[in-house]
Amino acid sequence: MRLLANLALQNLGRRKARSLLLIAAVAIGSGVVFTGATLMRSIDDSMAVGFTRLGADMMVVPEGALTNITAALLTVEPTDLVLDADVLARAHIASLGRIAPQKIVRVEHSGVGGHHDLVDLIGIDPARDFTIQPWLKDKLNRDLRAGDVILGAGRDAPLGSQLLIFGKPHLIYGKLGRTGVGTHERGVFMSFATLEALAGSIPQHGDARPAVLSLGKVTGFLVELAPGATALQARFAILSAVKGAKVVTGDSSLSGIRQGLAALLQGILALMVLMFASMAVMVSVLFSAIVTERRGELGLLKAIGARRAQLVGMMVVEAVIATGVGGVLGVALGVLVMRLYERSLVYYLDNIGVPFVWLDLPQTVAYAAAAIVLASAIGALGALYPAWRASRRDAYELVRGEG
Amino acid sequence: MLACRQVSKSYRTERGIVTAVSGIDLDVAAGEFAAVIGRSGSGKSTLMAVIGGLSRPSGGTVTIDGTDLWRLSDNALSGFRNGKIGYVFQFASLLPTLRLIDNVALPAMLGRRHGASGSYARAAGLLERMGLGGYLDAYPSEISAGEQRRVAIARALINDPALLLADEPTSDLDEQTEGEIMNELLTINREVGTTLILVTHNLALAERAQQVVHIANGAIVA
Repeated sequence: MRLLANLALQNLGRRKARSLLLIAAVAIGSGVVFTGATLMRSIDDSMAVGFTRLGADMMVVPEGALTNITAALLTVEPTDLVLDADVLARAHIASLGRIAPQKIVRVEHSGVGGHHDLVDLIGIDPARDFTIQPWLKDKLNRDLRAGDVILGAGRDAPLGSQLLIFGKPHLIYGKLGRTGVGTHERGVFMSFATLEALAGSIPQHGDARPAVLSLGKVTGFLVELAPGATALQARFAILSAVKGAKVVTGDSSLSGIRQGLAALLQGILALMVLMFASMAVMVSVLFSAIVTERRGELGLLKAIGARRAQLVGMMVVEAVIATGVGGVLGVALGVLVMRLYERSLVYYLDNIGVPFVWLDLPQTVAYAAAAIVLASAIGALGALYPAWRASRRDAYELVRGEG
Repeated sequence: MLACRQVSKSYRTERGIVTAVSGIDLDVAAGEFAAVIGRSGSGKSTLMAVIGGLSRPSGGTVTIDGTDLWRLSDNALSGFRNGKIGYVFQFASLLPTLRLIDNVALPAMLGRRHGASGSYARAAGLLERMGLGGYLDAYPSEISAGEQRRVAIARALINDPALLLADEPTSDLDEQTEGEIMNELLTINREVGTTLILVTHNLALAERAQQVVHIANGAIVA
């Protein structure tokens, strides 16, 4: 009822200092919870990207090739060294599952991006690839064809539009989602056939074209272990069967970081739960005091015919308004804090090899809404019991300040 | 109209059980003006609270227009209080954050009898009648104690109650204002036919009542 809601609002305004303190306390609590939850989820997703969703369990590259483990398990790094495209198939290694070959050429003056931008042209075998296509966020409603390219999330062009690479038109078939891995974000992906068709247009450096553009050569392989096989078994099998190859897997230091971060996240979660619980107790205590102070008013309302549900509703609405506003302010505060620390956080995580991926907007909005709803719910629950107790008293006792 | 049978009310305190009202039998006919007199602490206000459905009696029955008040459910009792009983307290009992017109319209809005516009129209009419037509949008703190008491009477009348209970409504007012307010209550009783039970220390006023109930130590003595 509007008049009772109005009354609840005016009651908040009547004790401005107390209402502001309550709002501030809830804002801090819900801000911490929102920020903590958003960061936790972002870090969790980043870990998933960095460790779990990389698609490949290991990478096979030419011995001597430099590799960045995090990026490498999505895409092989550009290098002048090559392997034979059928080297793993010939070895018949039982501990290997899917094998996805990749060719990578880093080019300049391609017409893609700025004039001096280095662009990674990444060739994949669409039928065997399992690390790139799962990241397709938008794509045309058909299979990848010769002449099609897929853009990393860091490049912006409409689907179906034309992209000139070294003056040759290509159709933008799809766009990848964000992974936080640089090669992945900035890459232009295409089938082997498309890359080979471009080979003649790629300027030569020194005596010859990049070796990887030759038929039957690849930059490396992304490999998935066969069910039940261990990385150690596969590594030995590959190294004994393929000469001049290097096997790259996630190392123990990354596992350590992952475990450390997981423990940290659990600690943050426990702190958040404690904070919310203490906030609920505080709101409940405060509303017990407010109800006690306003016994006369509640008794009067009861005397003129307000039902118990209306009295309880009024107090709950009052609490929900205060804590809801606190929740909104807390979310705003959280966004501000995250913006302030964004750079240092991303830098730190990048340094330890974890590509940081912020939650996307719908998820962030959902977390913000959840924090506000939770704050309001705490207000409602905190006020419910004292209001319900007061509503059970005789109107006369309340009017006289008893009960 | 009103029938009380063996009404009693006891309180549990730290010093033991205190009996405020004991074995009261009282009948008031429809449209009657009854005055309740007695010394402070004699149980007058407690009796009024029990009759008005504000305080559950420890024993006995209170029947208004054939309805046994304290056999009603909590919601039904709220509805009954809202529609049948008007209550004027012995203190200024307005909600300070609401305008005068909101205070008066509140019982009608709670009872949902006349709709919002109807409730406010009635509230404006009653405030006009009480001589406060120019203060509809004022807040209680902006008017005098006597005017506040008039607003409380207007609020008590908003739902056309069959029974108007006034518990020393002029206790803290000057003689002239007391006279004006009492005249207003008596006019309502006479012209509208609302049954009026008035707690007062003013014996001259009590003499104008059709029935005088004298209470001492929680019991009717005359």
